[in-house]
Amino acid sequence: MKALAIAGANIRRMVRDRSSFFFVFVLPLLLVLVLGAVYGGLSRPRLGIVAGDGPLAQSLVSGLESDGSIEVTPYADVDKMVLAVERGELEGGLDLPEDFDEQVQQHVEIGFTARDLQEQFELRTVIDRVVAQQNAVLRAAGFASTQGVASYSDAVATAQAEQANVERIDVETQSVGQPYSFTQGGRFDLGAQSQLVLFIFLTSLTGSAALIQSRTYGVSRRMLATPTRMGTILVGEALGRFGVAMVQGLFIIAGTWILFRVDWGDPLATGLLLVVFCLVGAGAAMVTGSLFRNVAQASGIGVLLGLGLAALGGCMVPLQVFEIFAPTMYHVAHITPHAWALEAFSKIVQLHDGVWSIVPDLAVLMGYAIVLLGAATWLLRRSLTRV
Amino acid sequence: MRNAMLIAGKDLRRRLRDRSAYIVGIIAPLGLAAIFSFVFNPISNSSYSGTFGVVNDDGGQIAAMFVDQVLGGLADSQTGVTIVSVDSEADARNRVEAAGDPSLNATNGLSAAFVIPPGFSNAVQAGQRTTLEVIGSPVNSTSAAIATAVAEGFADEVSAVNLEVRTYVVSGGVVDPSTVSDAVAYPSPITVGDLPAETRRLDDTTTMTVGMAIMFLFFVAQEGVIGLLEERRDGTLARLLVAPISKASILGGKAIASYVLGIASMAVLVVASTLLLHAHWGNPVGVAILVLAAVFAAVGIMAVVSGFARTDEQANTYTAIVAIALAIFGGSFFPISLGGGVVQFLSKFTPHAWFIQGLGDLASGKIAAVVPSALVLVAIGVASSALAVVVVRKVVDQ
Repeated sequence: MKALAIAGANIRRMVRDRSSFFFVFVLPLLLVLVLGAVYGGLSRPRLGIVAGDGPLAQSLVSGLESDGSIEVTPYADVDKMVLAVERGELEGGLDLPEDFDEQVQQHVEIGFTARDLQEQFELRTVIDRVVAQQNAVLRAAGFASTQGVASYSDAVATAQAEQANVERIDVETQSVGQPYSFTQGGRFDLGAQSQLVLFIFLTSLTGSAALIQSRTYGVSRRMLATPTRMGTILVGEALGRFGVAMVQGLFIIAGTWILFRVDWGDPLATGLLLVVFCLVGAGAAMVTGSLFRNVAQASGIGVLLGLGLAALGGCMVPLQVFEIFAPTMYHVAHITPHAWALEAFSKIVQLHDGVWSIVPDLAVLMGYAIVLLGAATWLLRRSLTRV
Repeated sequence: MRNAMLIAGKDLRRRLRDRSAYIVGIIAPLGLAAIFSFVFNPISNSSYSGTFGVVNDDGGQIAAMFVDQVLGGLADSQTGVTIVSVDSEADARNRVEAAGDPSLNATNGLSAAFVIPPGFSNAVQAGQRTTLEVIGSPVNSTSAAIATAVAEGFADEVSAVNLEVRTYVVSGGVVDPSTVSDAVAYPSPITVGDLPAETRRLDDTTTMTVGMAIMFLFFVAQEGVIGLLEERRDGTLARLLVAPISKASILGGKAIASYVLGIASMAVLVVASTLLLHAHWGNPVGVAILVLAAVFAAVGIMAVVSGFARTDEQANTYTAIVAIALAIFGGSFFPISLGGGVVQFLSKFTPHAWFIQGLGDLASGKIAAVVPSALVLVAIGVASSALAVVVVRKVVDQ
């Protein structure tokens, strides 16, 4: 009963503090929103294009514009376009010479630049496709006129008319195998799961400052002076940390579900996972709270560990990407509790598995919680009586 | 001035003794940059390699041209690309699927495969419709895209030659044995070449280091006014005010402490990240200009924000919120250029975005390239410092 009172006081302190309000409630949703905007909507590469107003140049431009897989922005000035590519405001740029229509009767080179290999490849595929169509007509016209059977302009008209009669090799693409889980799901889903795991742990670590405040304000000493056993105080503090983590976790789940329609899967499985992960967070908070002497130190290290472990654990780069590109990193990631929680979430949400499928992950997380809470009990017993 | 220096010196000694300056100013940003580059680098550095299978069920002349010239040419021109012959379509399908599942650890997996159907060569030579099949898997989507692009390129080439011959015939030309080979040899009028561009981007490790450095700079830059609020809480401010020291000296001392801490921590970060993480900040003069301008802006903004607080704790709260929010929208965590539209517009209001853009421009090699970004940072610094003087005076007067 006394333990619950101590926990309650801790949670009230958090809810009333304006900074906690921002970090616990506002920031996670803000990040889910920004990440969704930055990464979720990323699909079509942006191509800048400088072209004269000749009909052939313009037909190349409209060919690119009508291709649905890229976004074309016209530029008047090559230098401005190149600067935009250099700064990453465009994925690539295409420069057609002013006298494209005249040069094309012989040979014309158009300039292309892109930011990196991946984008270069994506844009180049589209450009090659559109250029190939125009090339086919102009090449046929050039060939016929150099063979002396027609004038260039007549040959262009003939080639354009004949283009529809040429049978093409159809390229059929077949896909085999399962898409990876991170390619499925809603725009905000993956962001929301990673944020949930990241923030519960981060807030727990930075929130450990509350334990230090309890010591420096003398709350701990006064509690010890009352007829309350040390064990009760420790359970109360742990419950407080756990409660703070739960409040934030439930808020993120509810908030993202209502605002962004994020799918959280089976409520029982998600609920169990949340409870166990919050226990891990509470344990980590108690350990940091007892190891550091002042608030500035604890929050500095808290941010470092909170973001660092999250990055290692797959909150910033999906674990499946590690698995494909860097298998060692994939194993390293599983040192962190984050990776186990994210694996469990991908089973619940992406694969729609029930609570039984995540039992191994829950067991590992429970192990973390027991070790951390055990260590914290021993450390805090010493530090609470220290000033 | 001497009094200001004394006050600054005392504040600096205090910050160094309680070790928080090291943690917030150096260890946290450096540690995070190290972890982030450790996490992100294996992915961005992985170079492409792919094994493409080809099932030749046709065996004709055109099929041989595709396998030998097109695919052979791809393997010769691209390092990491291997072409292997596969017996049947079913086998190719299984091997592409096996490569797409990392848990199988398949040794003979294929990134993607081509299937040339029977009768392909005859159909192409007769000008009839035919197909070329590409098998890919979602996991190796890049390979599937490359394979599709190669097949489409070949289809385009065949269509182009067909159109050449047709146009020639319709225009009254007479086909003789050399016509087709002449048509194949006739060059495409439009070719795609390179447009020279400088790199105005930082490499991944440097991007992360720069992002973390500028974010934590704001935590370091808040020291001055928070120190003032601490003095007020502890009652030492009242003692300073009755001593023969002008208010300007007190405020000046606090400001100097903030500038020195900011510049020192940034300097250590630049050197340490260059040595330990192999970050490339760029020309030292350009970096120095941007760092000084950024410190000026950061100290100004943080002074205004903490000047509105009544206690040092409240100030810590306000500054943390502002520092994190600016860092998110300014591009400390992810490249703002990806966001487009609204996100990019919002980023222009953060010093972070200008600092990062300035360093990106500096990567082009010209020191003068930092001037626009540095000027914006200085302007932010001047405006916020002017406001800070008004706001912080109240803290002293109360």
